[in-house]
Amino acid sequence: MLEVAKVVEVRGEDAIGAKDRPGHLTGASDQDVVEWAKRGHEAAFRELVRRYERPVFSLLYRMVRDRGLAEDLAQETFIKVLNGLGSYNPQFRFSSWIFKIANNAAIDQLRKRELDTLSLDGSPHATTPEAMRATALQLGDKRETPLQELEARELGGAIERAIARLRPEYRSCILLRHVEGHSYEEIARILELPLGTVKTYIHRARNELRGYLADRKE
Amino acid sequence: MTPTPDTRHLTPDEVELWAEGLLPAARDAHLAQCDACRATAGGERKLFRDLAQLTRFAPEFGFVERVMAKVKIPTPSGPHFRSHSDS
Repeated sequence: MLEVAKVVEVRGEDAIGAKDRPGHLTGASDQDVVEWAKRGHEAAFRELVRRYERPVFSLLYRMVRDRGLAEDLAQETFIKVLNGLGSYNPQFRFSSWIFKIANNAAIDQLRKRELDTLSLDGSPHATTPEAMRATALQLGDKRETPLQELEARELGGAIERAIARLRPEYRSCILLRHVEGHSYEEIARILELPLGTVKTYIHRARNELRGYLADRKE
Repeated sequence: MTPTPDTRHLTPDEVELWAEGLLPAARDAHLAQCDACRATAGGERKLFRDLAQLTRFAPEFGFVERVMAKVKIPTPSGPHFRSHSDS
């Protein structure tokens, strides 16, 4: 019996199908990789992390604007997702599920730490120029650490600064739509919002972004 | 009989369709004749491009290993442990 199993492992395509084998995970669908992970194949878990580490980390980094914190949240997200594969509903895209968990982690963190729309230009709640200056992030400060310098380089461009000024819920919507390429319906599912609300948020976010970018040109 | 020209301005959804090359021909015809819609659509398309070109940031080196250290992998099972007769 052992011999038969060995043969199947070596000449597995007939019995298993090429897409089912760990060696072919790169081209397999997320659903197939998840199935492999559920069967206990470590390579499948690694493949899921490799596929989504950049998109998930990028979303979180743009949401919380802190590399270390974004990495902690990304780790939490993956651990939660990979240890909870049994509850994944394959009717929906795997990416929708993982972004939902990542976004919830970011929103919880923003609420806890009140980072929300505290932007490079100062808090939107500030009512005077002095208050704006006092609450602005000082990314050009000479005393900044190498990590802060990296963050300033990565998030200091005009479009990144404009995104940072959006309300968190607008930011999630715009990143999921225009960076990750999710449909409005998928975003509604990820954020657990009505479809109409998602459309409204995205249209408002785009108007705000165009406004912020135009302000910088003037 | 000549059809009446469509004078309605593009909605935000239609602008998005246009940027993706999916706007119906009738509405495309309106865009060709309407300076206001062309200006709006041009601005939107530039924004979409800027957003689509944003960097995909990577976490620190070793991220996969740090995650894997905390993942509980179930005991292996599945097709490649089955015999031919099981398939």
